[in-house]
Parts: sequence; structure tokens; C-alpha cells
Amino acid sequence: MNTDLEELLRGGMGRFTAEVTAPGGLAAAAVRQHRRRVAMRATAVGGGIAAATAVALLLTGVTGGNVRATSPEQARDVVYVTRRVENALSGQNLVAVERTSTRGNSMTTWTYGNYYNWVQYNPTTDYSWVADGKRQWSFPEADAGKPATATGTAMVDGQLYGAYVTYNNDRYSLSPMGKSDLPTSACSTGARLEMGGNPVPGVSWSQFINATLRCGTASVTGHVRINGEQTTQITGKPVTVRLSPGYAKAVREKWATVRWSMYVNPKTYLPVRMYGSTQTYGGKAGNQISRGTTDVSWLQPTPANIAKALVTIPPGFQLYTGSPASQ
Amino acid sequence: MADERTVTELESFLADRADALMRTAVLLAGSRDAGQDLLQTALERIVPRWPRLDGDPEAYLRRVLYNLAADGFRRRGRLQRKLLLLRPLTEPSADPTAEVDLRDALVRLMLQLPARQRAVLVLRFWEQLSEAESAAVLGWPEGTVKSATARGLQRLRELAAGWQPAADHREPELAQARLRGQLA
Repeated sequence: MNTDLEELLRGGMGRFTAEVTAPGGLAAAAVRQHRRRVAMRATAVGGGIAAATAVALLLTGVTGGNVRATSPEQARDVVYVTRRVENALSGQNLVAVERTSTRGNSMTTWTYGNYYNWVQYNPTTDYSWVADGKRQWSFPEADAGKPATATGTAMVDGQLYGAYVTYNNDRYSLSPMGKSDLPTSACSTGARLEMGGNPVPGVSWSQFINATLRCGTASVTGHVRINGEQTTQITGKPVTVRLSPGYAKAVREKWATVRWSMYVNPKTYLPVRMYGSTQTYGGKAGNQISRGTTDVSWLQPTPANIAKALVTIPPGFQLYTGSPASQ
Repeated sequence: MADERTVTELESFLADRADALMRTAVLLAGSRDAGQDLLQTALERIVPRWPRLDGDPEAYLRRVLYNLAADGFRRRGRLQRKLLLLRPLTEPSADPTAEVDLRDALVRLMLQLPARQRAVLVLRFWEQLSEAESAAVLGWPEGTVKSATARGLQRLRELAAGWQPAADHREPELAQARLRGQLA
């Protein structure tokens, strides 16, 4: 009886797979996907904890704490700046375009309200690095500078979804818009760590500046000319954390220190440039520092600009329903 | 470049073996699309190890494939697995005998089993490996393979007990009714 069942099952398997053939290009696709993951891991390490945790910081509704400043001059600066920032809140209706470059990688984020479109590009030049004693290569020249992934929000049938597009395999996935589980306080350690990576989409910068100055995790540190324009420099207090065991193992480090500064337009008090760095150390990987520079433009909310703050699903891309990790 | 050499070598290997591997992946994952994803993921896993692979690459790839599947690759939802019951697995058969229907039904039922049991049944009855060989592929003790096989077959017997050959085209409706009964 057992044998009968086993034979029938085997026969059924044969019928089930009778017409199955493997598609072409499996090897190239596997190598491409592997390369993409290695590069993303490198970006995550290079982009600091923010990229590794891949979270978005939504600071809408942050309320400022008491003003804490170390000197009367600084206190005056803080009061002056926070008032100006409050007056600049109308800037929230603008479309923000953030262009970030880190060593060998670049990304662009368009943000408008709760829309955002964060595009990571393949490196513009082929480069290599050593991991696990083996030299790993980035993308081939043909893919250089092209979009690698887009993460953000997409409008599908009139409804807003979370969207993730992977260009190397022509796939996209959608997820319902959920409630953020991200730090709600700009003064929290989590929020400060975010500043060591690429800027997080959806941040209300004026509220961020206001809150961090009030709680003392940032201070006004000077005035600098950028692109011929006078700007006010705001610098965050460095924050150091011990890495979680899993992440520490992955990057072979123990500690991370994040530093950031930004330069704001003195008229609008919106940032025009931001610097973030994450230094990891204390492990076998040695002292590693990644730095990112982000230039920010603020555009009028025209339909064309708002549209760019939404992820576009390219025609012909396949909807992927598996886990994003394996997309 | 190292990657190009890997692609060339992998392509050469797959030229002979891709279809067989794909069939195994489809059986493990339950559908053509899921099988392709599973095989792709397994291939991706071996890419970094490919230049250092000693011995039979197919054995290594199969081990990755089966272990991914046994670990619940894509963690298909229970309901989604059940929905496979409603779908014809092949084009309507020219063979009207009940035995052929039962073969198809058994595979549909097998796809309902937990991933570990399914992996063992595919190894034992599709690949026709012994318990010891199956244990080596999965990296499990032989006793675990033996008990998973027995549980899988027992479950198939139980599921098959309610199966009636479709005398007409009502099978989807019958499956639907059975599905409702199981979900209730």
C-alpha cells in the first residue's frame, strides 16, 4: 500500500513538472543579484547605522523641550534661530530634493508631505573592496550610475502604498501604508544616529532644527558661505553607541560615533547642505569612517514636482509578492 | 573579472542541469514562479562560494535548494497553500482514469504539507534518495528524515482518504467544499 502511494506520488510529481523548463539567464541574474546585495551591504556599512536599520524618521509634531545652552551667547542664538525656524514653517509646503553622495554611491530623495521617492544609484565607477579575505567587485560599467532601487510611496489606483522597485530584475512590491514605528523625538538617540547616514525621507527639517536646538543636542556654531550665500551652521552633538550584537558581528565593529552638521538658509531656515558621518571602531574591521554630503533644494509644489515625490513603477515590471529581502 | 568567470562557469553548468533543478524547485516551492525564485535564491547563495567550490557543484546547489525549501522559503501562508487545491496542476488530462486524477491530487495534497515534510518527500520519492542520502543533503539526523517521511506519508494518506475521483468537472467545486470544511 505504501509502495502504491509512493509510486502514485512520484507519478504525480512527474506530471506536475512535465512541462517545466528553466528560463535562460539564471546564472547572470544570480550574479547580478549577489553583486547588488554586496553593494547594498557596503552602502549600509558606508552609510552608517541609518542605512543598516533602513528606517525613516518622521518628525512631524515634534514639540520642543526647554532651551539648554551653555552660554548666554549661545542661548541668544538658539532663541533667535528657533523663532526664525518657527516663522519658516511655511516651507513645509515645498518639495524637497535631496541629493546625497557618499564614497562611490549616490542617492536622490524627493519629498512632499507624506510622499517620498528615494532612489539609490549604482556606483558611477567600478570599484572593488576586500571582504572576508576576498576581493569583491561592484557593478559592471554598463550599470554604472543607473538607478538600483527606488523606495518610497506610490499611487496605485488612487491609493497610496509603500513601494519598492528593484531595477536589476524588473520587479516591484507594494505594501500598505502603516504607522511609523520610528523615533518621534528629534532629541532621541535613534534620531541622532539617523543623521550619520543619508538624510531620512519625510523629516520636517524646520521642526528637527527647532527641537534639537531646544533640547541641546545641536547648537548654532557659526556662519558659512555656501554657493556664494551666507548660511547658518548648526552642529549636532556627537553621539556614541555600542552596536547591537548582530550588527556588530556583521560589520566586525563594536562602537559607532555619529556626527552631523547642517547649513541653513538664513531667510527660510531650511537646510541647503548637510554633512553626516558615522565612525565605527573597536572591532576587527578597524577604524572606518563614512561620510555623506547632501545638497538640498526646495521647489514649488507644482504637479510635476509633486509627481517626482512618488515612486513610478516602470512599465513591464512584475509585481513581486515574496519578502522584500528576497526581491 | 571574477564575476564574469563565475557567470560563464555557472552558465555552462546550468546548460545541462537547469531543467532538472528547476523541476525540483517547482516541486519544493509549489508553483513555477515560486520555484524559479527558489532556484534563483539558491544560485545567488552559491555565487560567492563558486570559485572555491570543491567537488560536485550540483550536490552543493541541491543542498542549498532543499535547505532553503525546508526552512520555509517565502513562508507561503497557509491559506495560500490551500488555494493551490483549487488550481488545476496541469492542462486537463487526456487520461480519464481515476488513477491519474489521484496522482495529481496527491501532488496537490503534498503541497499542503509543511515545508520540511515536503522537502523530505521530494528527496525520497522524486530524487529517489535513501534515508541516509536524504539526511546528508538536509544535514539532519537520519532519524529525523525517517520520522518526517513517515509523518508526511501518513498526512497524505489522511488527506487522500477524503479524495474522490472526479467523475465530471465538479472537482474544483468539491475541492472548494473540502477547503471550506478545513478552514471552518
